[in-house]
Amino acid sequence: MSEAVLLILLSLADQPRHGYAILKDIQKLSDDRVCLSTGTLYGALRRLLEDGWIARFQEEDRSRAKQAYRLTALGRRNLQDEVSRMKQLTRVASLRVARKET
Amino acid sequence: MLSLYRALLLLYPARYREEYGPEMIAVFIKMQSDVCTGSPMRQVLFAVREIGGLLHGAFCEHLRRLAGLEGRPVFLSRRFSMRSEFRFPKATVSLMVIILAGVLVAIDKAKAIQQSVVYSQSEVGPIHATQQLMLLPTLLIILTAACAVAMIAWGILFAFQRSGSHRLSGITPSGSARAGGRLSI
Repeated sequence: MSEAVLLILLSLADQPRHGYAILKDIQKLSDDRVCLSTGTLYGALRRLLEDGWIARFQEEDRSRAKQAYRLTALGRRNLQDEVSRMKQLTRVASLRVARKET
Repeated sequence: MLSLYRALLLLYPARYREEYGPEMIAVFIKMQSDVCTGSPMRQVLFAVREIGGLLHGAFCEHLRRLAGLEGRPVFLSRRFSMRSEFRFPKATVSLMVIILAGVLVAIDKAKAIQQSVVYSQSEVGPIHATQQLMLLPTLLIILTAACAVAMIAWGILFAFQRSGSHRLSGITPSGSARAGGRLSI
């Protein structure tokens, strides 16, 4: 999972968001380190939609220029798996780094 | 900048453009209005990022469409991907032996023709002894070099396979789903 995809999924984890809100949230999540272009964002969104990790969020305002996206159950499960894997890796890495320092 | 953005959007496949074009333009306008208040350097970076993103995105979309990979992620992991089922076909060895045999037969035939023809001019006559001496080592060197290149290429491919790089092609949303959500960094 690329960092961009991880950040997009994390952005949608708490609530549905529009493209602009996703970009802003990603900047915030990464502490302004990651700034995705709209081309990259929508390329990733399309693939995630195809894979069923995210879905279009149905709103009253259904203008095509303001489409929101939400995380699906499959996307949430895979995100949780990825977070668990990262936790495990971080734990092992911390142990190894600490051992090296002593 | 907006007109350039619209023009670059035309590089995308029509279907993609129809589906995501209006959204992308709307988001771009908002992002641009945010950046307008920033420094000129930030504006330049924004423009470069957007243009690069569009060019890369359009290229990937066309590649997916041409390769018939609709529904399968491409370049998402941005890592080297290799078909795990890749093998050198066994027929390659047989084919190479046949080609080598053909070359040897051709050399023999050429020698036979050479000996049967009487040449009046030394320039176009039989190959001199020194040239004959040079021919065989040259062929051997070429053959050895070809073998070495083939061995190195095979070694690189084998190393990639052993390193598990080919499995990185599955580090995508769908790939991870197949692998039970186990993803590599």
